[in-house]
Amino acid sequence: MLCPIRIPRPPTALLRTGIRYYAAQAGGVAGNGESLKIKSPSARQSRSAPTILPSEPTTEEPSLGESLLFLHTSEAALATPGLRFTDGHGLKGPTGKGRQTRRMNLYQAIRDALGTALATNPKAFVFGEDVQTGVFRCTTGLVDEFGKKRVFNTPLTEQGIAGFAIGLASVGATAIAEIQFGDYIFPAFDQLVNEAAKQRYASGGAYPLEGGSLTIRAPIGSVGHGGLYHSQSPEGFFLGAAGLKVIIPRSPIQAKGLILAAVRDPNPVLVFEPKILYRAAVEEVPTDDYTLPIGQPDNVREGSDLTVVAYGTPLHICQRAIDLLRSPPASLVPFLPASLRPPNPAPSIQLIDLRTISPMPLGALTEAVKKTGRMVIVHEAGKAGGVGNDLAGEVGRRAFEYLEAPIGLVSGWDTPVPLTFEKFYQPDVIRVFDKLVETLAY
Amino acid sequence: MPSLLHSRIRAKSGSNIIHAFSIHNQIRSLITGPPSSTPPTHHHTTPTAAPLPSPVPLPFFSPEVSAQQSAANGHGNGEAKPLYVPGSQADRLARVGRMSSPLRRGSHESWWSPEMGWFNAVAKTIPTYRVLDEEGHLVKGTAIPEITKEEALAMYRTMTLIPIVDNVLYQSQRQGRISFYMQCAGEEAAIVGSSAAMMEGDEMFGQYRESAALLHRGFTLDALMSQCFGNVEDKGTKGRMMPVHYSAPELGFHTITSPLATQMPQAAGAAYALKLDEDRQGDCVICYFGDGAASEGDFHAALGMNSVLGGPCIWFCRNNGFAISTPIIDQYAGDGIASRGPAYGLDTIRVDGNDALAVLSAVREARKRAVEGKKGVLVEAMTYRVGHHSTSDDSSMYRRVEEVKEWTVVDNPIHRFRAFLASKAWWDEASEEELLASHKSKVMKAFSRAEKLPKPKLGEMFNDVWGVGKGDEVPAVIMEQRAELGRLLKKYGEVWEPWKKERKRFVEEGMDVMDCDGRGS
Repeated sequence: MLCPIRIPRPPTALLRTGIRYYAAQAGGVAGNGESLKIKSPSARQSRSAPTILPSEPTTEEPSLGESLLFLHTSEAALATPGLRFTDGHGLKGPTGKGRQTRRMNLYQAIRDALGTALATNPKAFVFGEDVQTGVFRCTTGLVDEFGKKRVFNTPLTEQGIAGFAIGLASVGATAIAEIQFGDYIFPAFDQLVNEAAKQRYASGGAYPLEGGSLTIRAPIGSVGHGGLYHSQSPEGFFLGAAGLKVIIPRSPIQAKGLILAAVRDPNPVLVFEPKILYRAAVEEVPTDDYTLPIGQPDNVREGSDLTVVAYGTPLHICQRAIDLLRSPPASLVPFLPASLRPPNPAPSIQLIDLRTISPMPLGALTEAVKKTGRMVIVHEAGKAGGVGNDLAGEVGRRAFEYLEAPIGLVSGWDTPVPLTFEKFYQPDVIRVFDKLVETLAY
Repeated sequence: MPSLLHSRIRAKSGSNIIHAFSIHNQIRSLITGPPSSTPPTHHHTTPTAAPLPSPVPLPFFSPEVSAQQSAANGHGNGEAKPLYVPGSQADRLARVGRMSSPLRRGSHESWWSPEMGWFNAVAKTIPTYRVLDEEGHLVKGTAIPEITKEEALAMYRTMTLIPIVDNVLYQSQRQGRISFYMQCAGEEAAIVGSSAAMMEGDEMFGQYRESAALLHRGFTLDALMSQCFGNVEDKGTKGRMMPVHYSAPELGFHTITSPLATQMPQAAGAAYALKLDEDRQGDCVICYFGDGAASEGDFHAALGMNSVLGGPCIWFCRNNGFAISTPIIDQYAGDGIASRGPAYGLDTIRVDGNDALAVLSAVREARKRAVEGKKGVLVEAMTYRVGHHSTSDDSSMYRRVEEVKEWTVVDNPIHRFRAFLASKAWWDEASEEELLASHKSKVMKAFSRAEKLPKPKLGEMFNDVWGVGKGDEVPAVIMEQRAELGRLLKKYGEVWEPWKKERKRFVEEGMDVMDCDGRGS
């Protein structure tokens, strides 16, 4: 696997992002934004001592957009595990000359996926409130390309949109509906949980008719100033709705592949998109039609001491926290136990993108935790009734004898998401850092 | 031999059917009142307490038999007869009686008609009531609502205040000083006119574009600005809610929440409570909603419940043409929202929403009807959203800027009302200048004051999740999590830069969470 490291900023800015340590691990910074290739996974896992940055050049934390998880080269993008081109021609493409990628942010990648779905399937429809305009630009311009019959504004009724989509799919069409905010999905809860999820079971497998497919997209998560009704992460509510698939992508490449897989999945799929990433996340995205597998977690970073499981935005937070452990700023060193300080090697931490919330890919996660013996789960939603406790319970039961520390969970508090207090509500880098240290030192 | 038995019974009941049908035919014209245009016939009084029907036998369905049966009944000869009518003759007569009794009010104004009477509107067109024309002149033949100079000027003061408030806060959002904002622009007459028609003690359920209604009820600029900044003086929402999500129980203004139309069934519930509360006879509920929200299931649920259960409630629709970017043409294919009122049995009016006087007098009348009849009344105010939906929206993406400009010039609610005031000699240029200057200085003063105030105590994040009765304890889940944040703040609050910086914005800088060991502040 390729590990891309693109230099997004002038070198002075790099110091504070902690990239230096990475670069050192990877074998030296290649000049001028050239990507670095790591020859084998073991090279990346080399357990050299953590580098302590002498002092912080600036005190500003890197922004989400600077996350090291975003892939900035074609090679890295095309090496995404599980990537399958729909034309069946593999990485060489139908012409044999390889595949193209283009820089896209998350909303552009989603728009690209929706455009691909519409272009490849005459029975596909994209609809929802304001989709002709596209309040997050995920659907902007699609109406000009595909016409108002297939891309249309609906009246303002979430339960109507969901029910309408189920009806479309039930007679063999491909419905790609949008709920404008995850916070407003609750009027559609009845249709989704009682109808979409149970339709196949109730009809003895007869409905939806052949070819019918239902995808519901909704933006979720916090952007820092959304308050009670523009910040929620409602995925936990759907855990009990067997029959629904729930996926949450972390990046443009992932979003395009997972959405195209969702559109072609015979099951109803909810796609929750972290809205803070719509503009912040930028990657080289393959331009051709491809899918990524639903139901499999993605091993984002290998590691052997601790498994961190997250999905969506918190993955980038986790990555940053892991970096802080590997190259802690002087101010955080006092918080590290001796075992995590030089000359001891930096901890090797595995980072897994859960991707599919339901049905939860427990087998793969259990195997991972059996290897590392420690697990920390991070998500934005509150603890109660959430993915973290569900996952911790299942993995705890299955890997009990392998666990060397209690399974950690860093999440939003069990309060509504409070506007002014959001920075202290969300699981941020330092909270994850603290939990990583606690779990490693247990 | 069950099949034989069945056919025997069927044959027997078949003869009954023919008999029943003839009875049915005989008394057809006697049921309920015919329309006034049809000549009167003699009228039977019908029993209002008809006996309950006795258990009726189940119909038998067997394809072969029913085919024979339909042939025997003369199907295909143009003489369609029901295959099966359950019950004895007495039951059937009783049922016919019930059809004209109050129990069958679902179509109580209907009559039997030999013609297929398809229809698509209750009235052909719904008129729009107005008092002032676009230039502010009185419309011919209209009655000026009773309005004192004082009332009129109070309305005008709010109508001119809100654009200034909106402008300052809108710009401040653009500069990143507040997180969000929504303007009333274009809807000043609809919002202020309706608010002015309400009384002290009335309950108000807003959607989110009703800041002007709240200001007109006496909400202070300081309170408004504090909410928008979420500062320590934001008593209504304690910094937890986005700007414009006001809450003012002291003014009967229920908390604004972002989900659409959720306020509507709640308003129906509040109206029912008012109806039954002896101490609150004469109070009324007003519930604001938009043309978009009227597509939500909650709209129909609310009107349905209110029409059946009663309770004084004014359903005030601000039909401003857009739900974010969705124009009304994509929102409904019927005749606006007003056409739905009669479907729920509500007195309904459509009013020019840019005519403050028309709105005032329509809502006053609506309030009278609602309070006297203890029932719901629907008012659809036709207006136009001049501003963007919110600071997150750029309306030039879906409507021409010229169109918006035209509305502000040709049909400006403030200009229309001002022309009326001038015609009464209640207003002049000098007063206008003085008023605007005073508005501006007041708004800026409140703005700067609110901006300088710190945020509430950090612990407010964990309060009010669950109500805690006297002697009860805050649920452990909250106290544990609060303590966890306290522990982390103690540990990293000084060394972790993002927290160090952020803490300073709050009263006590987060010490309240750190020091209490999770026991609450």
